[in-house]
Amino acid sequence: MSNKPVKHAQAAAEFLEDDPHRLFHDERLWDMRQKRDQQMHGMPEWQELRDRASRIKEHTLANLPTYLEQFEENARRNGIHVHWARDGAEHNRIVAEIMGKHDAKSLIKSKSMITDECEMREYLEPRGITVTETDLGERIQQLDHQLPSHVVVPAVQKLTGDVAKIFAKYYGTDPNIKDPHELAEAQREAARPVLLSGDTGMTGGNFIVAETGGFVVCTNEGNADLSSNLPNVHIATLGIERLVPRVEDLGVFVRLLSRSALGSPITQYTTHFRGPRKGGEMHVILVDNGRSDRLAMPQFWSSLKCIRCGACMNTCPVYRRSGGQSYGSVYSGPIGAIIDPTFNAKKFSTLPFASTMNGSCSNVCPVEINIHEQIYDWRRVLAEKHDIPFVKREIMKMAGRLLAQPRLYRVSIEGTEVALKTMPRFVLYNYLNPWGKHRELPHPVKETFNSWYRKNRLKTSTKKEHESA
Amino acid sequence: MSARNTILDKLRRNRVPREDDYELPPVKILGDLDKSIERFEKSLQLMGGEVLPQRDGQTIEDVVRARFPNTTSICSAVPEVEGTLKITDLKTHEQSNEVDVMVVRSPFGIAEMGSIFLSEVELFDHLADVHLAQHLVVLLSREELTANMHTAYRERSEFKTAFYGVLMSGPSATADIQGVLIRGAQGVRTLSLIWTS
Ligand code: SF4
Repeated sequence: MSNKPVKHAQAAAEFLEDDPHRLFHDERLWDMRQKRDQQMHGMPEWQELRDRASRIKEHTLANLPTYLEQFEENARRNGIHVHWARDGAEHNRIVAEIMGKHDAKSLIKSKSMITDECEMREYLEPRGITVTETDLGERIQQLDHQLPSHVVVPAVQKLTGDVAKIFAKYYGTDPNIKDPHELAEAQREAARPVLLSGDTGMTGGNFIVAETGGFVVCTNEGNADLSSNLPNVHIATLGIERLVPRVEDLGVFVRLLSRSALGSPITQYTTHFRGPRKGGEMHVILVDNGRSDRLAMPQFWSSLKCIRCGACMNTCPVYRRSGGQSYGSVYSGPIGAIIDPTFNAKKFSTLPFASTMNGSCSNVCPVEINIHEQIYDWRRVLAEKHDIPFVKREIMKMAGRLLAQPRLYRVSIEGTEVALKTMPRFVLYNYLNPWGKHRELPHPVKETFNSWYRKNRLKTSTKKEHESA
Repeated sequence: MSARNTILDKLRRNRVPREDDYELPPVKILGDLDKSIERFEKSLQLMGGEVLPQRDGQTIEDVVRARFPNTTSICSAVPEVEGTLKITDLKTHEQSNEVDVMVVRSPFGIAEMGSIFLSEVELFDHLADVHLAQHLVVLLSREELTANMHTAYRERSEFKTAFYGVLMSGPSATADIQGVLIRGAQGVRTLSLIWTS
């Protein structure tokens, strides 16, 4: 992996140049955000759910070693082989070893960010193992040799025409297909034989349950249930932070996850694995890969509460306008900005600057991570590591690129959506003064925004803009 | 030191949050406790599922045949439906891949989500086969509804006994290409429900 800082601002500027892509991306993610709001409004207990989700996660992280041991014991009792991996390389070796024992050559997998994080495909493929992503979005990204753009919708930055071209190249379909249904059907047709002949299946896991020694996989396409159940061997790669103590805790998280992610009440499939099926073999790999280090960071440990719903990405004006590819990492958007630097502080040093500090990410986060405050803290940490000119330069680049776009700019705070023609003053203020004066204000973002909004709402928001927001 | 012990040791020594500061909140049942058939049906339809009406004099087999009049392949995992073959007759995945309609019984449904549960018990260990079929028909007793996710995890022991337990909420779906919602992605293309008593 190259250590050179990701040129986020430059990549974002390139993405912004193409109108159809930029506009669709912005609209699509904003639509997901609005559907999430609709779900939230239908549930008076929403805040209580978020609060419980946050507290359950905090408690679990504070007792992580104990719960990991409890999970391991119960999983073993159920007949699951439990492996531990300190880092991505160790994880990849374990996968290769398991497959080697079975003389297996074809790994069919459902979407899991953590295997991308481990760069597993890059390790296995030169060793003669074919890795096939079976989630549609992740498959599109795999064929196009790109990292996922988004944790929930990996190919969200592409339009139908882009997918038609990629499928034409690899699946031999018509490059001019205009109907997404036809493309999805092409994927189904192409995936079936691979699924049927795959000799090892792989999934991630959204939640691990210490009490039962099981784990839960939430998906929509049905590919995870096929990938895990068709071959005789199922390997699940699980981040150690995904634990919850009790089965009943799942109620809280399942109710929040898909509502926050896509605005649908639940994923089409919520699958509870607790042991190998009859005649099958099940392995779980518990992966650390920097998580234990993150848990030792006073300002940043709570980012481990993340359930990867993507809500912070959908709401982030910078992410919506710059696209996931511009972050140059597996995790993009606000959550990427706070966890990527823990993997590589140099390479991802620019990402905490890809934010307007509007706080919307923290407001939508179902586990109440103080994302925007951590972004701010990262700027300080990075400023200590780098020189101030570096920091200033990054801020200027971000500000310059975004301010140069005199287009509709959306900011949302606590469910209040406004469409803005121009960027509010506080955004500019935050770009140019990431710390210093900023620190004198107890709640700088909210107060500044609210007062700005009160003064300007009538002037700047027309009916049409409200509708399109 | 083994990877296991290195990781656990690091977590024990270095973690910032400490046990005493973060108590585990007791489990609480939240949300709407309506477990009516109406709520379940509304949720199921929102997720893309259908409810098949059973008219006077119609057997369940008739209802299935009426929904899929042209099919020549109905695989049954329930005594109520004869079909063209039994789930336990499936010997290879290639054979299962030819199944058009699969009929199963779910032990319970969740009104909040329109979800039905399936495990190795109802599927006779044919876990992949239910997902390879093109269409799924689910029988569910009107008596076996629970209100929401909290009550489901509290009341249903299946979550602690099944090795494989899937909550299906409508058919497979994707919106990965330009945000267009497509029902029928890689798993079943449709999911229909028939009430039984
Ligand atoms: S940080 Fe919060 S909002 Fe963002 S992906 Fe994680 S859980 Fe979702």
